[in-house]
Amino acid sequence: MNRTKRNLILLLSSLGLLILWQLVALRVNIPILMPTLGPIFSALGTIAEGPTFAANLHVTILRALQSFLIIVLCGTVFGLLAGRYQIIALILKPFVTTLKATPVMSVILLAFIWFSSGSVPLFSAFLMGFPMMYLQIEQGVGQLDPHLGEMCDLYDIPPKTKLFYYTIPSLTPWFVAGCRATLSMIWKVVIAAEVLTVPRYGVGSRLQLAQVHLQTDVVLSWTLIAIALTALGDLFFEALIYAAVNIRLFIQRRRVDALS
Amino acid sequence: MRFHNVSKHYDEYIVFDRFNLDVESKSILAVVGPSGGGKTTLLKLASGLIEPTSGTITKEEEKVSFLFQEPRLLPHVNVWANVEVTLRGFYEQKERTEIALHYLELAELKDSLHLYPHELSGGMRQRVAIARAFAHPAQLMLLDEPFQSLDIRLRMRLIQAFLTLWEEEQRTTIFVTHDPKEAMLIGDRVLCLGNPTAPLLDEAIKIPRTARDVHDPACMALEAKLFGLLMDA
Repeated sequence: MNRTKRNLILLLSSLGLLILWQLVALRVNIPILMPTLGPIFSALGTIAEGPTFAANLHVTILRALQSFLIIVLCGTVFGLLAGRYQIIALILKPFVTTLKATPVMSVILLAFIWFSSGSVPLFSAFLMGFPMMYLQIEQGVGQLDPHLGEMCDLYDIPPKTKLFYYTIPSLTPWFVAGCRATLSMIWKVVIAAEVLTVPRYGVGSRLQLAQVHLQTDVVLSWTLIAIALTALGDLFFEALIYAAVNIRLFIQRRRVDALS
Repeated sequence: MRFHNVSKHYDEYIVFDRFNLDVESKSILAVVGPSGGGKTTLLKLASGLIEPTSGTITKEEEKVSFLFQEPRLLPHVNVWANVEVTLRGFYEQKERTEIALHYLELAELKDSLHLYPHELSGGMRQRVAIARAFAHPAQLMLLDEPFQSLDIRLRMRLIQAFLTLWEEEQRTTIFVTHDPKEAMLIGDRVLCLGNPTAPLLDEAIKIPRTARDVHDPACMALEAKLFGLLMDA
């Protein structure tokens, strides 16, 4: 299927979803339960023009980005160590297994007891995201081809060259998979934590306040904003990966072209 | 290279017991033998990957290049880089480029420098591995059944490619194979393992390499002898 056809189907499917919503909302005819599309988009416009819109968005994005970077850093470092040294994997196993099985809400509620409301989203996102990143990297290290490692050693390939030409490229798919999984989860946890702890600014706080005032159209508008944030985050990450891969291919191609 | 009273035990299993072997410089020693007969252990001992349980191995050649059963190419870099990276610890960039290009040209890969391993056929991948082994400044080459998984036509072409490169620059070579025919076509001398204390057969091949033919009576006789030994081992 070509790209245009694919995009057309996706567009029609999204339009179908909106039409379905509109039809059901008209049938229910109780705006507080299910507002029609008009009030939702109107509320969206009002929110976007509001004085605190940028601040709310900025704080949520900052929290998600901070959590993401901390998770990627810690997950990668501990994943590498655990993949390399079995004892570290064993020491971390109960911690990781517990985190994997703990409900998100329990983590958020406990964090709210221990920390101020602004720190809860960060802490909760870290605890929920760390196992994903850590396990991917640990698995990646375990899957490194021992035959290629042996070849590098037998040919006396310098450690730095081995790192950049064998180890890092072999771990990259695992790293990217870990980042993708973490990124798609982080927005949900950060916003859920904001909903429960209601810090001064944040998309989740606005959702909570709108729900308290029974402004269903505003709740749905902020939900649309949250969806857009997740989609834009994914898109930005994919663009980064695409650029990195192409730059690498371009550099290698140029080196070969320079030979002739 | 000399193995002097070399023993190698894996727990109770004795692979070599006071085994002696001299490998002449700049010659090809072809090693055949049954599975578990010590062929790979011999290569690992020669490369220094494993230490003997007792005895000594002395060699003039410090650097070693390896040609494995599978090509073992770095999957994320192109053909040229696969050869060039193995030279980084030994040469400056200009020299590395010249050497890598030289051997890739000899291996008939000049038009495939920008391709990645997944874009190559099995034979091309093994040719890259051959070029890499020769480009490396090693004076000792260890070959662990590098042509085994290929079909007969490709195998013959690659053996020819290998011998062309070897004639260009002769190096001390230990070539392990399951196939008596390969041993006979490539080796200056054939060793048949299967007994921990001494080879079952150790015979120099007097026929010049260029004159060897699978239908030649002398070659056929040696092949039959090796085949018989392998069947009995």
